[in-house]
Amino acid sequence: VKHVDEYRDAELGRAVAGEILATVEPGRHYKIMEVCGGHTHSIYKYGVDDLLPANVELVHGPGCPVCVIPMGRVDDGIALAHQPGVVFTCFGDMMRVPGSDGTLLDAKAEGADIRMVYSPLDALRIAKQNPDREVVFFAIGFETTAPSTALTLKRAKADGVQNFSCMCSHVTIVPPLRALLDSPDLRLDGFVGPGHVSTVVGARPFEFIPADYGKPIVVSGFEPLDILQGVLMILRQLAEGRCEVENQYKRVVPYEGNLRALEVMAEVFELRPHFEWRGLGFISHSGLKLSEAYADLDAERRWTVPGIRVADPKACQCGEVLKGVIKPFECKVFGTACTPERPIGTCMVSSEGACAAYYNYGRFAREREVV
Amino acid sequence: VRVVRIDEERELALCEDDQGERTTVEIALVSPVEPGDRLLVHAGTALTRAA
Repeated sequence: VKHVDEYRDAELGRAVAGEILATVEPGRHYKIMEVCGGHTHSIYKYGVDDLLPANVELVHGPGCPVCVIPMGRVDDGIALAHQPGVVFTCFGDMMRVPGSDGTLLDAKAEGADIRMVYSPLDALRIAKQNPDREVVFFAIGFETTAPSTALTLKRAKADGVQNFSCMCSHVTIVPPLRALLDSPDLRLDGFVGPGHVSTVVGARPFEFIPADYGKPIVVSGFEPLDILQGVLMILRQLAEGRCEVENQYKRVVPYEGNLRALEVMAEVFELRPHFEWRGLGFISHSGLKLSEAYADLDAERRWTVPGIRVADPKACQCGEVLKGVIKPFECKVFGTACTPERPIGTCMVSSEGACAAYYNYGRFAREREVV
Repeated sequence: VRVVRIDEERELALCEDDQGERTTVEIALVSPVEPGDRLLVHAGTALTRAA
């Protein structure tokens, strides 16, 4: 299969792994954060970390869209879903994320009309088919998903669909990265940059990482060879004393991003002053809401939501996992009280969550020696 | 996915994945596209064309 098979070649993988081994400095421990949950999933699905020297540690970042949604936001969604006449729509993973008193799936079992959709356009279609109902779309995700929501809202406005609205919980990738880099808890040597977000925003927004923090970042694809090559490019920069933004994923990521997508997002969304992230707290200018021009399609203006901040369960350590401070298996409830079937924390819900990736691919514990 | 057929007026394309499953994709952000083009799609919207 084009764009797949050539990036899963085992022999090439071993060759790149050999180059990585030849590039690292013995005795130095490297910590590289893969920002995107899609990378985390691929790393454990294909055993990429088994090909790395023991002194190259991959740290999992906050780029899983479902994982960063706080409990209070789930409660807001459930409150909307219980409004009379509402059809509440969301992506499948979101239905299993625990709020303070259950999940959207629980609310559905209790009688709320909650439907899983694959795209915001599906939600708009439901609205057109049910003109006597109010259809709300729970929009989550980074800049990868936001353009799809923006285009759907433009279509709804153009088609004069009055019974469609959006509960916007989209987030942006740069502010949490800056928050992580400012955190005293974490020492990182470089970043595997988010490939799919970068198809929209391009590689340019990451220039602050080398410029302000002196760390390399390589925007990388999601196949095993992509990730290995991304890691090699970071290690080469470190070995050569360079520090810059590089683009390993040139086959789909233009350095400037998708300008049309950025335009439509700028028209439909504006930045919230601050937004709460699970485990990371409130981060300034990190969340999106509908712009004034689209305020009539804002579900949070049509109905009042509780908007109450809810603390994570004490046993759950998703916050530390999302910041890369601990590995999933170091969490007290990993694989016991918290499993993909009965998740306590968000990182165990989505396949892009670090805990789910570890659990599903058998990485229950991992001792690594520094060479 | 690979583009099979295009509805230019509605900026939609019928696309097929490598398993032969077909789906309708929003192409407003990447148009013009042609049958045979390969697109990276997220949440029903094409974000970029694969080189």
